Amino acid sequence: MLTRLIIRFAYFLKTSHRYRNAKMFFLDLLENSHSRLKSYFDLFMILLVMLSVFLLIYEIDNQPEPLSKWFEDFVVGVFIAEYVLRGWLYSDSHKILIEQYERSQYLGIKFRLRVPLGLILSRKLKYVFSPFAIIDLLAILPSYRPLRILRIFLIFRIFKLFRYSQSIKLFTEVLGSKRFELLTLAMFVGFLLFIASTAIYMFENESDGGRIRHLFDALYWSVVTMSTVGYGDITPQTPGGRIVALALIIIGLGVLAFFTSIIVTAFTEKMGELAENRTYTEVEKQEDFVIICGFGRVGQEVARQMEKDRQAFVVIDNSEKNAFVARKKGRLVIQNDASKNDVLLLAGINNGAKAVLCTTENDVINVYVTLSSRHLNPNIKIISRANRQENVDKLKLAGANFVVQPFEIAGLLAAEYVGQPVASQAILGILSEEKHILMETILIPKGSETDGMQIKQVEFEQRRLTLIGVISNNPLHSKHRNRYKVYNRHFYFNPAGEFVLQDGDILVLLGREYSIDHFKDQIEKSSL
Amino acid sequence: MSIKQIAVFGYNSMSFELIKCLDLKQHEIVVVDHDESSLTSAAEMGFTVIATECHIDANLEQVGIGHHINVLFCFFPEDSENIFLTLSARALDKNLEIISIVENPESAEKLLVAGANKIIDPYQMSGRKIYQLVKNPDIANVLDHTIFGRHDLNMAEIKVLSGSFLENAMVKQLRIKDRHDLILIAIVDKELGKELHFTIGEKDHKLDADDILVVLGPSREIRAFKKEAERVT
Repeated sequence: MLTRLIIRFAYFLKTSHRYRNAKMFFLDLLENSHSRLKSYFDLFMILLVMLSVFLLIYEIDNQPEPLSKWFEDFVVGVFIAEYVLRGWLYSDSHKILIEQYERSQYLGIKFRLRVPLGLILSRKLKYVFSPFAIIDLLAILPSYRPLRILRIFLIFRIFKLFRYSQSIKLFTEVLGSKRFELLTLAMFVGFLLFIASTAIYMFENESDGGRIRHLFDALYWSVVTMSTVGYGDITPQTPGGRIVALALIIIGLGVLAFFTSIIVTAFTEKMGELAENRTYTEVEKQEDFVIICGFGRVGQEVARQMEKDRQAFVVIDNSEKNAFVARKKGRLVIQNDASKNDVLLLAGINNGAKAVLCTTENDVINVYVTLSSRHLNPNIKIISRANRQENVDKLKLAGANFVVQPFEIAGLLAAEYVGQPVASQAILGILSEEKHILMETILIPKGSETDGMQIKQVEFEQRRLTLIGVISNNPLHSKHRNRYKVYNRHFYFNPAGEFVLQDGDILVLLGREYSIDHFKDQIEKSSL
Repeated sequence: MSIKQIAVFGYNSMSFELIKCLDLKQHEIVVVDHDESSLTSAAEMGFTVIATECHIDANLEQVGIGHHINVLFCFFPEDSENIFLTLSARALDKNLEIISIVENPESAEKLLVAGANKIIDPYQMSGRKIYQLVKNPDIANVLDHTIFGRHDLNMAEIKVLSGSFLENAMVKQLRIKDRHDLILIAIVDKELGKELHFTIGEKDHKLDADDILVVLGPSREIRAFKKEAERVT
């Protein structure tokens, strides 16, 4: 009867949306490192821990006040709630129950509650004995009155900070990665201390004129000497004791050097990962940024232009050399293979990126990255570089919105120069925005003063602007001359003075930066 | 107009694109390289090829530098090779038009010092174009259709001939925009030096012989305008 009730309850939990939502919420709050909620919670907990420890220090010399008592109760309350919640999140008990139940149903054997309960218990015990859970428990226990003696463990609350700070977590990870070396060293040190303490106890015993009274003194002296601290409160008096000291000092130096080198190598090995973590954290904060895959000459030029316009971007490049160049220039770099889905995801392709640029010099890689990006995000803008004409169609097929061919551009410009050197200079001038002359577009918003105005009334010449044309898909304009199809819209080159501008039309202007900005401002203000 | 003699040094995808863009009726092109395999593929495309070591002056003279070649393209992948070629060619012919590509932006200045008339940085140009596509794809498309002549729209330069209707005219009075359906983009006013001035309504220019107008517009209008400008009284 009870078994059936429990199983029914487990199925109820499985189907309940409310239960799932609640669990998701607490997962976001406590465990999901990508959620914003967790970062707020972590900050709150750090403050709470710090305050409670300060209070503890204050109370050593001062009488506790009622307010601080309440605060202590509140802190412990939060800690207990956190401990229990984490225990709950650690494993899905109802899933284990259902799994076991269905298994026995399938096999046609009798279902015994004992089996899943044992499994659930072992999972939960695993949580209880995990290092972080022990620290959490040690931070709570001393507040229980009968265990007042454990007050000193309140200082363990500081260890709770490990949970909430990424960098401290990383430190433990670094130490963890060198577990084997550290363990070997610890065993060696333990062995050494044992020998040294025994030897010094034998040589320097009080009965032999030495200063060592008991074995603890011997151990204390050995640690102080081996660590090269050497307080000097206990010094060897006998020749035998001194020989032990000499040997211990020299070996101690070696042990220290070994220990330092383990820590240093561990950090050096993790350095790349540290830098990458920083990049990912930075990327998470960005919005509307661009992913540049490949930091060769083209990628560098794009980055330079973006920096000028304060457009945020992140670089992905697998080559050590290019990543180094990018890092040196202070760019956000992920040194990894851009064709891997998880790299693109971590770079934020579905999380704030507005465009992916494939700018490597290898068309095969460009096609592959384009394909992966399009697969991951069907709406993102993808611009790819093609080094060979025959790959343009492949890139478009793979999902690129635009394809740029460096060699074609260079060829065109060079050919233009032969026939028309001055015109080609003008082209280069406009392309490179030299002398602050640029081509820019301005959208006519609904209700602005230019909406419904004839072109001759706008008086572009007086505004020191040259109107090149108008981009529009408004059928009202279709009778005008010089109409060129540009993707799904039309470009009207040099429209006549009688051309009436409509909202949604885009003016293409040539002029100095400030004339264009000024005109833009005026139009925007008039539409408000 | 006489046929221009062009030598393209270094055969690769960039020089292939270049030759594709050049009007073969108006230019006689010879491809020069020291690499046999590149030359074979150039010959397969039907180009006239010469295999020679390019750092020996006598070989350059054999190609025609210092004689009939008017324009030289240095399209080797290595900047150092292009610089050496530019230097050697400039020493042989003071009036040669030398156009070189540059791989590393630092070499651009060296090429200019060596005597190149024009430097083209393909990576810089494509980097800019890619950024333009991110920032404002409309402009990038319009530029494609106007400057790069994907459509009927073109940019062209027109020289003011002595005795033509352009001589002694004020630019604003010409009303090129309305009368010829062309947009005047820039001008080289010899009175102000060789520099290019963008005409964006800032000041009027009086045209003299040998000034150059840069206009943008449909090919037929450009042809008509050129024809009119060439009529000398």
